[in-house]
Amino acid sequence: MTTDRLGVYIHIPFCASKCYYCDFCSTAAAKREKIDAYVYALLCEIREFAKAQKEKRWVDTLYFGGGTPTLLSLENFADILSCANDCFELLRDAEITAEANPKTADFEKLSGMRALGINRLSIGMQSVHDGELKALGRIHKFKDFEDFYADARRAGFDNISVDLMYGIPEQTMESFEASLDVLTALSPEHISSYCLKIEEGTRFYQKRETLILPDEDAVCDMYERMSDILGKSGYTKYEISNFAKHGRESRHNTKYWTCDEYIGFGSGAHSFVSGKRFANSRDIDAYIETDGAGTREGEEVISPSVAENEYIMLGMRLVRGVDIPKYEARFGKSFEEQFGKKLKKFCPEFVILSENNCKFTDKGMLVSNYILAQILDFS
Amino acid sequence: MSQSDRMKRIRNFSIIAHIDHGKSTLADRILESTSAVSKREMEEQILDNMDLERERGITIKARAVKLDYTAPDGEQYVLNLIDTPGHVDFNYEVSRSLNACDGALLVVDATQGIEAQTLANAYLAVDANLEIIPVINKIDLPSADIERVRAAVEDEIGIPADGCPAVSAKTGLNIQGVLDAIVRDIPAPTGDENAPLKALIFDSYYDSYLGVVVNIRVFDGSLRAGDKIRLMSTGREFEIVEVGTMEAFGLCRCESLSAGEVGYFTASIKSVGDTRVGDTVTLVSNPATEALPGFQSVQPMVFAGIYPADGAKYPDLRDALEKLQLNDAALVFEPETSVALGFGFRCGFLGLLHMEIIEERLEREFNLDLITTAPGVIYEIKLRTGETINIDNPSNYPTADEIEEAREPIVKANIITPTEYVGGLMDLCQDRRGTFIDMKYIDSSRVELHYDLPLNEIIYDFFDALKSRSRGYASLDYELRGYQASKLVKLDFMLNGEQVDALSFIVHEEKAYGRARRIAEKLKENIPRQLFEVPIQAAIGSRIIARETVKAMRKDVLAKCYGGDITRKKKLLEKQKEGKKKMRQLGSVQVTPEAFMAVLKLGDDN
Repeated sequence: MTTDRLGVYIHIPFCASKCYYCDFCSTAAAKREKIDAYVYALLCEIREFAKAQKEKRWVDTLYFGGGTPTLLSLENFADILSCANDCFELLRDAEITAEANPKTADFEKLSGMRALGINRLSIGMQSVHDGELKALGRIHKFKDFEDFYADARRAGFDNISVDLMYGIPEQTMESFEASLDVLTALSPEHISSYCLKIEEGTRFYQKRETLILPDEDAVCDMYERMSDILGKSGYTKYEISNFAKHGRESRHNTKYWTCDEYIGFGSGAHSFVSGKRFANSRDIDAYIETDGAGTREGEEVISPSVAENEYIMLGMRLVRGVDIPKYEARFGKSFEEQFGKKLKKFCPEFVILSENNCKFTDKGMLVSNYILAQILDFS
Repeated sequence: MSQSDRMKRIRNFSIIAHIDHGKSTLADRILESTSAVSKREMEEQILDNMDLERERGITIKARAVKLDYTAPDGEQYVLNLIDTPGHVDFNYEVSRSLNACDGALLVVDATQGIEAQTLANAYLAVDANLEIIPVINKIDLPSADIERVRAAVEDEIGIPADGCPAVSAKTGLNIQGVLDAIVRDIPAPTGDENAPLKALIFDSYYDSYLGVVVNIRVFDGSLRAGDKIRLMSTGREFEIVEVGTMEAFGLCRCESLSAGEVGYFTASIKSVGDTRVGDTVTLVSNPATEALPGFQSVQPMVFAGIYPADGAKYPDLRDALEKLQLNDAALVFEPETSVALGFGFRCGFLGLLHMEIIEERLEREFNLDLITTAPGVIYEIKLRTGETINIDNPSNYPTADEIEEAREPIVKANIITPTEYVGGLMDLCQDRRGTFIDMKYIDSSRVELHYDLPLNEIIYDFFDALKSRSRGYASLDYELRGYQASKLVKLDFMLNGEQVDALSFIVHEEKAYGRARRIAEKLKENIPRQLFEVPIQAAIGSRIIARETVKAMRKDVLAKCYGGDITRKKKLLEKQKEGKKKMRQLGSVQVTPEAFMAVLKLGDDN
């Protein structure tokens, strides 16, 4: 059974400027009025969703993602949070996260956010080297991040995640290690570290021919070095790209990996509710015009067989892997029959299979797509 | 009309030329000016009615057409134009088509002059005792040199070219001159319509309504519906359903076909395999005592394995090959199994062009994705036991200690080239283990080179190399000379320690190292990284002669989950899986069909 607690995702598709690698739903340099109109549409969508529910849903995580949520005014945050409070049973100890970018909020705004109940920040740092930041199209320098981080701490945030990136054009092992050292010295509670991937529709994609990227081996070396350094610095890798101090794993993101329910509000937001996956259109203007209604698209009813495969695909992203008794209780099928047999040939080098648990080795984690593509079936 | 009056008004002729010298265009103009086809109806090059032929600008199958022609003096003639294939792969078919004629137009490009196939075709026509009329074409081009070409025709081929027509088939200039020459110079057929039937099969094709349609030239006797016929090479008998003539726009039934005439018959025949080109048709009731000379059953010279890229398509491939064979008696195939490629067929072809054509037709007309193994030839192996065996598949090649002597087919190659490329081409022939025979100057600027070359050196990329070393100017013609003892070895490839049978081939000892190294490199470039390291080894017997390594894959992971966008990740995995399905399992190694092709399609040896 899924837990009856719902995760809420709120997408804020505004940025000061678009980074070269970003293919998320976001728009640069929007006017204040547009942001306010968007927030109004958000409130409408949240209320409409709540109205359609038989009873108020319990919510234990709320996540402002972007874009750059810190471009919202304190008033915007207040409106959204009070609306969420009205429409859901927002648990007292709910994890309320906002993604944040340096230079988009001052100490005052951060304090205000904290006062409104936001208890976790996820800050985009990406690198400690100004050259690399510039190459990525970030608007801030490392100094801006340091100031922002200090402000956040001062404002009372005691649960901070920092985003880091590797595989950046012209990045070297030395420069990446330096980023890791500086970051661990700051000691955030959580670190997400993603490998740069060139996505279609981004500025990097346009000039992909001329980019000088670290090759596969270099990137793997960086990943392994990172796992090593972060491990020694008190972080546990709990997902392919996520590291946390004890008890500081992201509760919201974990819902994605354990197939728990979440509702996404806002343009381009994804949801998984009542056995269906759906998303809102990425057309921000249409979203505003329809007051957040009528832009839902691509509803997919998840069949039992697809649900099983999703469960494995997502669960195996976690270092702890898939709990076999839980899988069998949830789907009423033998794990061995469904997946265990096919996974045998990858054991023990890439997969560790025990009676109650199935997980990737460190080496297997890095080639997980290759292996999953062979054992999963979404048709 | 008396027999002799009827025959006096018939001209059976063919048009022969080197490729691109304008044979098909001239045929078009003749069709137009005899009003067999009006200009409006005229589709360019009506004789080449296969798409592939039109694209490649060559005639693959022979075609024939009957034209009613009224000469300027008012006399009525029947002109039977028998088109011939224009490539060395089809030499035998050319020779049979020519035997159906009494004369030939030899088209020579006024700017290029005589080329290898001009000569080869002219010799075939001489062998067939045809009256040859040179036609100098493309005289509209500024670089045309009519007199030089005239002189070359007289000197090189030894036929008078003094009064021969000079034309531009493209613009239609002096087509009348050609028609006049046909009527004036090509002899009317001879023969006796009261003698026992002797008709030459020069082409046949399968029609889904009529069965096999057999194109014939009647030499003696006559043929009508209801007659019982016998095919003299096989002794098989059939009853004629229909006889008729080939008009520009299709078949036209008629009462009978008599000595001197060209036409077709149908007889509920199911396979063109029964109606071999060159065979003689006679009547069961009054048979001829001997067949027309020159019949040979066609022997494929080049062999390759053809496999469906998707193993499930094996039955489709079989059906497609069977359908093609209905129309192509030269295509042979038998089932074969490869560990690497699964079920497929070992196919025999007349030559490389024939092979390419079959491949393309399978892919285009039957919508199949194919994997074709490296083409090979038939080797004669004398075993220590004293027995001699023929090997057309490297998998069946005996081990070195079983072999007393290995022999390979050798061809007589005739290359015509502008003098400045002689050096490069001699190097090429030398490199391909050629034996120099002689060299003749055609005129001050062009040379004819004769070499004996192993056929297996020609079937790779010899033609491309020849063209690239002569900037496209050299031309090639060859014919099988016989077998010769040779130091041959079988080269095997191993991926991850397992031999991949489909990659094996037979090669001369001296060439083995270079080839092995190049293929190993190419495999390395084309095999995607696997979860494990993949050693690539090339071996002769148990001796490793080249080695490369594909490093293990380290990273294939989707780092980010995109704010709960699970659908996208599923799609990516599905896509990856689709790609995977197309992969070929070579032992424990997975290879894309493209990679496999890339390895098989090796470029120049340099």
